[in-house]
Amino acid sequence: MTSQTDLGLVAQDEGAWRRLWAFTRNLLGYRESGIFIALLVIFVALLIISPTFGSRYNLTVVTLQMATIAIMATGQTLVIISGAFDVSQAAVTGFSAMVTGLLAVNAGLNPFLALGIGLGTGALCGAVNGILAARFKLHPIIMTLATAVIFTSLTYVLSHGEPVLNLPGPLLWMGGGSIGPFPASVAIMLLVVAVMQVLLTRTRFGLRVRQVGGNVEAARLTGVNVAAITLGVFIISGLLSALGALIEMGRIGAALPTIGSTLLFPIITSSILGGTLLSGGEGSMVGTLFGAAVLTIINNALVILQVDPYAQGVAQGGLVVAALIIDQFRRRQLTLRDLIRREL
Amino acid sequence: MSETEVGTRPIVTMRGISKKYANVVALSNVDLRLHSSEIVALVGDNGAGKSTLIKVLTGAVHPDSGVIDIDGKAIAITKPSVAQDLGISAIYQDLALFNNLDASENVFAGREMLRRVLGIPFLRRKKMAQEAYQLLKRLGIVTMSSAKFKTAGLSGGQRQMIAVARAMGMNARVMVLDEPTAALGVRESGILLDLVRTLREQGMAILLVTHRVPDAMLLADRIVVLKGGEVHGELDPQNCVLDDVIELIVRGRVA
Repeated sequence: MTSQTDLGLVAQDEGAWRRLWAFTRNLLGYRESGIFIALLVIFVALLIISPTFGSRYNLTVVTLQMATIAIMATGQTLVIISGAFDVSQAAVTGFSAMVTGLLAVNAGLNPFLALGIGLGTGALCGAVNGILAARFKLHPIIMTLATAVIFTSLTYVLSHGEPVLNLPGPLLWMGGGSIGPFPASVAIMLLVVAVMQVLLTRTRFGLRVRQVGGNVEAARLTGVNVAAITLGVFIISGLLSALGALIEMGRIGAALPTIGSTLLFPIITSSILGGTLLSGGEGSMVGTLFGAAVLTIINNALVILQVDPYAQGVAQGGLVVAALIIDQFRRRQLTLRDLIRREL
Repeated sequence: MSETEVGTRPIVTMRGISKKYANVVALSNVDLRLHSSEIVALVGDNGAGKSTLIKVLTGAVHPDSGVIDIDGKAIAITKPSVAQDLGISAIYQDLALFNNLDASENVFAGREMLRRVLGIPFLRRKKMAQEAYQLLKRLGIVTMSSAKFKTAGLSGGQRQMIAVARAMGMNARVMVLDEPTAALGVRESGILLDLVRTLREQGMAILLVTHRVPDAMLLADRIVVLKGGEVHGELDPQNCVLDDVIELIVRGRVA
């Protein structure tokens, strides 16, 4: 968990209990601690309830499902922190997957080049969103909803709705290959989360994103180029959507026009569960990772525990409502640690 | 009406500044000079054009016409960063703070301390926190134990000092204070006004924008009255009474 380091609250002497209390207090104060505790509780509870859940096979399935969601959700989290939304992510996924698959198989392009162009397609879609949001100041939700329709339509123009099968090996590696004992997609997920967390908390760009999302007027007055930051976050979101597409393509073994169509809701849910403030300015990539884990595990549990498939939506929707209520709560009280500090 | 002549050349000379928003005249042919070691109070009713005038000076608003000379040279202040580079800092009425960021990130906003790794600008968070803490301590915020607190939880006075610390950190020669005491209690106002005097002694040119005419009478070397976007006079607080200033604000002339 990385959040702010602490200068103010380390107790200097006064015995072990006080230090333990200070330590616990600090731990609870991280933005990510709530969702981490929830993850832990749900995980342990499922291990006890269901023998199937803890099996090696099932846990592998869960982490693989989680990888795509978590990767794309870090992009969404960045966009939300900047004060916008990107609901075109799922559409970008289908578009990038089809461009990659068609280039590699139908056009016989070098698979690595095809992967590169696939990622570039995502970044380009992101740039289109970014320019519309930054230059023309369009409302991000409706604007990306519209571009999503455009990207989806282009996907079908290219593919006529047909999947691309018989993908060459390099196109399958990210979703199906492994690095030592680890699935490649999980390794990529951890790398993306780490890079995004560092980008958000340690770099000037990350600070600018938090400034723009926190108080756009103040950002302008202190000389921040708001348009450039908006463009940047949408490009990153598009790029990560394409990365998600390529992993999903490798996992399924084919490029489908509908490849990411069900991902948008889980992605936004992961961001919210992870503590991203919907009004912007606050959020965490590590929290988003935990959010994706909680969401995937709950979805997995619904299947394992043989909950009526028609009723599963109640749980999934309920989870988001719960997360939104927590979001409301957070607007008033940023972290437990801030609350404790204020009392002192 | 009298005018205090300061012998030196002004740092800032604004001449003939005009600005219209659609059909509303915000500023009409406004002149203003600021010298070093001088506090100029800009007073006027709501909608008199005070905010627009300071935003022109800080590069946040572009005038339709008019010239700004800095050290006698005409310079186009096209954006806030140009003003900052010229040594002009502003503390806005709403303070322009980031509630989601901590005190040190607010103090250093726009001029972060950086360390480049592979060309990527990384923040020097520890160094910024230490320096911000020292700066805030010098400004008299003794109640804070670190600069890592979220700004949202701080008092009006603490927030004001963070804004002051930010402006001072920019190596400012000219500081614009927009209603600095509006959100402060009596004791906090006192601390701030003392600080403004100290800054004047250190040679800074200060433009104090305020509703509180008594504050202006107490502190300022000159009081400039703005009404309906025009300068309606300049008063010397030593040679006038409170009522003169208020007459000028309300009626646009002294009886």
